Amino acid sequence: MIRAIASKEFTQYWRDGRVVTVFGIVALLGLAATVTGWSAVSAMERERAAAVAMDREIWDTQGLKNPHSAAHFSRYAFQPTFNLAVFDPGLTEYVGNAIWLEAHYRDPATLRPIEDAVEIQRIAQLNPAWVIQVFAPLLIFVLLYGAVAAERESGTLRQLMAAGVRPVSLLLGKAVSAFSLTGLLVCGVLVGSAFLMSAEGIEALPDTGLRTVGLVVLYLVYLAVFVFLALGVSALSSRSRTALAGLLGIWIVATVLGPRVGPEVAGALAPAPSAPEFAARLERESSDPFWGSSEEAVERRQRVMDGLLAEYGVETVAQLPINYDGYLLQASEEFGNEVFDAMYDELWGSYERQRAIARVFALISPTLAAQNVSMALAGTGIHAYRHFADEAEQFRREFVLLLNQEMIDHGGAEGYAYVSGNDFWEQNPDFEYAAPGIGAAVRGVWGDVMILLLWLALAIAVAAAGVRRGFLGEMAA
Amino acid sequence: MIAPAILAHERRALLQDRLPVVLLGLFALICLFASLRGAEKREAMEEAATAFEAEHLQQASDWRERVVAVESGAVAPEDDPWAGLAMDVARPAVAAPGPLADFSQGVTAVHPFTSGVSLWRSVDRLFGNYQFQSPNEIRAGSIDLAFAVLFIMPLVMIALAFGALSRDKDTGRLGLLLSHPISVRELVRSKLLVRLGAVFVILVVALFAGLFIGAGGVPGGERLGRFGFWFLAASGYFAFWAGAIYWSVSLNRKSETTAMMMIGFWVLNSLVGPAVLAAAAQLIHPAPSQLAFLSTARAVSNEAYRSRSDVMQGMLLDHPELTVENYTIPEYIRVSYLVTQTVDRSVEPVLDDFEAVQRRRQAFLSLMQYAAPAALAMRSINEISGTDLARQVRFEVEVRDYKRVIARQVEGKVLSGERLTVAEVDAVPSYSFRESDLGAVGRNVLFPIGYLFALGMLAAALARRNLVRLQTRFREA
Repeated sequence: MIRAIASKEFTQYWRDGRVVTVFGIVALLGLAATVTGWSAVSAMERERAAAVAMDREIWDTQGLKNPHSAAHFSRYAFQPTFNLAVFDPGLTEYVGNAIWLEAHYRDPATLRPIEDAVEIQRIAQLNPAWVIQVFAPLLIFVLLYGAVAAERESGTLRQLMAAGVRPVSLLLGKAVSAFSLTGLLVCGVLVGSAFLMSAEGIEALPDTGLRTVGLVVLYLVYLAVFVFLALGVSALSSRSRTALAGLLGIWIVATVLGPRVGPEVAGALAPAPSAPEFAARLERESSDPFWGSSEEAVERRQRVMDGLLAEYGVETVAQLPINYDGYLLQASEEFGNEVFDAMYDELWGSYERQRAIARVFALISPTLAAQNVSMALAGTGIHAYRHFADEAEQFRREFVLLLNQEMIDHGGAEGYAYVSGNDFWEQNPDFEYAAPGIGAAVRGVWGDVMILLLWLALAIAVAAAGVRRGFLGEMAA
Repeated sequence: MIAPAILAHERRALLQDRLPVVLLGLFALICLFASLRGAEKREAMEEAATAFEAEHLQQASDWRERVVAVESGAVAPEDDPWAGLAMDVARPAVAAPGPLADFSQGVTAVHPFTSGVSLWRSVDRLFGNYQFQSPNEIRAGSIDLAFAVLFIMPLVMIALAFGALSRDKDTGRLGLLLSHPISVRELVRSKLLVRLGAVFVILVVALFAGLFIGAGGVPGGERLGRFGFWFLAASGYFAFWAGAIYWSVSLNRKSETTAMMMIGFWVLNSLVGPAVLAAAAQLIHPAPSQLAFLSTARAVSNEAYRSRSDVMQGMLLDHPELTVENYTIPEYIRVSYLVTQTVDRSVEPVLDDFEAVQRRRQAFLSLMQYAAPAALAMRSINEISGTDLARQVRFEVEVRDYKRVIARQVEGKVLSGERLTVAEVDAVPSYSFRESDLGAVGRNVLFPIGYLFALGMLAAALARRNLVRLQTRFREA
């Protein structure tokens, strides 16, 4: 019976020009988005590879230079754009591509692609995940708004009941047909993305296979939520017109309003530090208390000197077997690093608080929850960005230590006049970034996964109750 | 007499029906939230800009005092050898938020609006570190009045008006209504007048509320002038949608078909159109690689530093008058200046490329925006608000030019290592960002706004023709 109902639904979809048109538009958009995504990721990766090579070359050929001066010039950590960004670029456009690993300062990632984008891109950005997140629910609603209500209006529901169709069969028959059609679309977009993702020159994320399976499951659950919601609303509405109005309202709240209102309210309730103010504070607090002329700063430097003299058992800096300037510079780095840790914790903490508040809005917008999980699986979410930024910072600290150590060990009395050459620079390591596996990616979005599952359970319950009530209503009539 | 009676009935029906009242209330609430949030963000930006400028001006003033002290003999020159060091001339450059930045945030969330202009910084580093905003927040976009007008208002209009004719037709009341001496056109017009009129009243109240909330009292002349254009743009967009809805209703389809058609049109106009246009603009006019730009700047800096003796020699050959016998300022300062200047000159063509690409994209969008009225309205609204991309590009170009002006003015003293006098310090110009004048804004936006009105009127004319035909059909029936 379920197969018969599904088969009849397919035939009806095929004959309905509106369904074919909407399906065609969404499929076309999905295709265009996939090709656009692939083109953007390929270009970013090509540019990154060239920049990495150039950075190495510049570093190796800088000639004679004081190691600490070199630490100021330093190097860059370039963020890779991994294969799954073809499907869901997530925050790729909104976080910087490169972090300067200079001495004395923890820089934010700069060169955000969004800064080069045209202003209307702020309305919507064409990518495969967005097409599915926004348009697949709309397609489902167009397919299903009359699933039960129209049957009732036209009197065919009674005929179905008379033919012995049970509520569960009707529910599943309708669900299977709409789910298969939209599932086909999602799988088509994902397969297309996967094909393009495997193109040469695009780096693969660890656990790409598992992540892709995760994305398929995520979007099938996401579709199922809307399929059952549509069936429930259709069954509970007296007319298909009312069902359509209700479903369009749900679509607008879920896909247009929720994802924007959530983060906006979160920003109002838990504001992140103002960017210019934060930048100024970061510079001031990491530097002035160490290098400034305040009593505190002078004492701090004195303590460093006293500690070092005591360690070597000498009276004056001149008697030290190491270069004191380099040692002091490294001490200032260590002081600054503690400030950076505290201030960046504050910054990340504010992002996390915002995310937690925004997540509440996932209770009215499953799209918001799906977006978070999708970005996490694609390695383009906030946690992936933080992981990269933290790894880059760890490397910066080791790299600056390496350069300061060169001055400490070999600078002797020359101090700032001491220079190293290309043979030293050539030995210095590169920043090699290894993205985290799927476990770490998913850890930050368990809450969103649970909310999606809650939505699914709720949608199934509404659909089951609605169809049962529809049958009872018809029986009573 | 019958038309006023229908108007009165519609008014009563509108107020008695819970759904339209809820929708209108929701729209009013969103507008209020948008006004408050917009004002809050604008104030935060203003505070950040003011604090930045004040801090830098204070530093400049303290620095000037040192020059005064040396020049007046209060401090011996050898006691403050760095006083008046020309390389240390630094000035703030700030673009305060646009006159109506609280109405439309535009591109301000992602671009810098402050710069500490200093000769120590090459032009690629003039804007410092500002990329600390929450990427999730930027990605989601903001809820401002522009969002309320461009996205929410059409949806509310659709929800209230899609059944203006079809609902009576579906319920069989249409025949009864038309048995009175009233035409279909008058009937539809009366219904739309009441329903869409309610939306327009809320829009007008919200815009005026926003005007006063954002100004924190009575608005000034510039704000009022811009508001006039903003109001016109919002009204144009309203007229466009009113016309489109009138036309859809006049097609006399079933309620759900009309609703789907309108939502489909909203999706195409508000989401797909801008997304496709943005993607096309960026595909046809790709921006130069930011990473390549960064690499170029670093490579040039490295090369200039390596060959600093040649650079110095070249400078002295060009300017033999700058050879000073008793040069006491460390050479690294001159080297830094020359390296920075070399970098500035070398990256100039790349920066010109960036600007040229933006100009080409703007030209492309200025033409293509007529295919997507939402994009057109957004661009006009941003320009009126002073939050458009062209304004931002202008600010960044002006800041770079400003640095060149300062460099030209003090170059001689940097290279000769002489102190600046108080008169020379005072002669360093300050930067002030000037908004485009109202006339220029008007010239740019009036045609697009007129186009919106024209589209609305065209659609209304077509609707009128459809309704006249429908009337004839009814009569014949």
